Amino acid sequence: MSTDSIVFAFSKESSKDNFGKKKRTNRSAKLKQCKLDARREQWLSQVKNKGCKEEMNGGGGSSSSMSSCLPGNSLGNLEMMTRGKDIDSDFESSVNSSSNSISGSHDLGKDSVGSSFGSRSSSVSGGCSYQSGVEEEEEEEDECADDWEAVADALTADDKQKNQENLNSSVLAALDVPAASSDGNLPKTNSEVGGLKLQSDGSARKVVGKGHAWKPDDAFRPQSLPTLSKQYSFPMNAERCCGRGASNWVCHSVVSQPTSCPICYEELDLTDSSFLPCLCGFRLCLFCHKRILEADGRCPGCRKHYESAKGETVVNGGTPPFRFTRSFSMSTSS
Amino acid sequence: MQASRARLFKELKEVQREKVVDNDIQLVCDDSNIFKWTALIKGPSETPYEGGVFQLAFAVPEQYPLQPPQVRFLTKIFHPNVHFKTGEICLDILKNAWSPAWTLQSVCRAIIALMAHPEPDSPLNCDSGNLLRSGDLRGYQSMARMYTRLAAMPKKG
Repeated sequence: MSTDSIVFAFSKESSKDNFGKKKRTNRSAKLKQCKLDARREQWLSQVKNKGCKEEMNGGGGSSSSMSSCLPGNSLGNLEMMTRGKDIDSDFESSVNSSSNSISGSHDLGKDSVGSSFGSRSSSVSGGCSYQSGVEEEEEEEDECADDWEAVADALTADDKQKNQENLNSSVLAALDVPAASSDGNLPKTNSEVGGLKLQSDGSARKVVGKGHAWKPDDAFRPQSLPTLSKQYSFPMNAERCCGRGASNWVCHSVVSQPTSCPICYEELDLTDSSFLPCLCGFRLCLFCHKRILEADGRCPGCRKHYESAKGETVVNGGTPPFRFTRSFSMSTSS
Repeated sequence: MQASRARLFKELKEVQREKVVDNDIQLVCDDSNIFKWTALIKGPSETPYEGGVFQLAFAVPEQYPLQPPQVRFLTKIFHPNVHFKTGEICLDILKNAWSPAWTLQSVCRAIIALMAHPEPDSPLNCDSGNLLRSGDLRGYQSMARMYTRLAAMPKKG
């Protein structure tokens, strides 16, 4: 459920512009399959980007915890400054989205700390020079909240509450993963986190625990959370989300779905692109198909007569190597 | 009528965009008539036609692309499947094996392929076909090369 909603959130936002118009014109369930094709592609490409972003998140997160464990000195400030610079230079092209997501993951972690222990400043261990950074983050938190609101708007009214929870929790889980990976890769940060534990009281220990959200084998972990333990290897993750046929399916949709009719070179609309008149897989627009039927009636792809395969003539029969489950299509259509 | 015109305009646009990619084929449309095209193709290498530039004339029917374009050589060529006098081409895809998925560009490619791989069993040029069928490859090649030099290469001096 939460995976679905996340998928939906990504694809919805990216493809809103491209597909908004078409969506209005056609509502039959079969044609939604095609939209899902394109959305899935876009999502997969987004997921790739997101993957590298979140690894950067992990780096950012650990450095901030380092800075917060050194109480109120200039080193912490420096750390923050360099972190900001790094982010700027690395993500010049996608400054908005990446900084948003980075701040978002921090804030959510912090928020949960704040809500469970009442005071945020205790976890920051009283660094006054750090104050400005906190304010900045609060500002960005609002943007982040807007983002999640947009996601929530797209969901149905009944599911709203539950989905929001799921999203938040899965973001926490996502926050957990890069931190865990950086633990494995960088023993130095690990020891720093340990230092944080020793320096401050029990609440700090909780901070670390909370920052890691749920361990994959945690008893309190909600059932609905996806297993994200290997998030940086995103192809695997994607495959788990959309089943074993995912890779096949992507190839299929890329290779055998021309955007324009090869006969008249006009754009294929949704009806045309789900129209598969011949078993050989040659696609063309309905108009050209009709004209060919009036002429010699042979498929331009394989030169066999359409009549011979008329029994098997199918509309939207081409895609079935892979089909979504019913629940998935319901969640996107709502 | 409208469909063929639209399709030919799209092909023209495509050809102009791909001109850099495929420099063996130069496909140009008549200025005043979208149904008349001419093409310049380079003779394929390692054939007797190497080094020659051959001109093709396309006459596109109004039912295009449901019906194939009529193509003939304007440049004289000694080839079993090309009529020596009229330049008519015997090529299955220009007759019963035509598919609307083909384009003028792909027809040019098919003709280049036919130049490299003649079919002596369905000859339009009997002399050339007989040379090949009797196994006189050398005779065929020297004849074809001579006509390439005479007709398809710029005159020297």
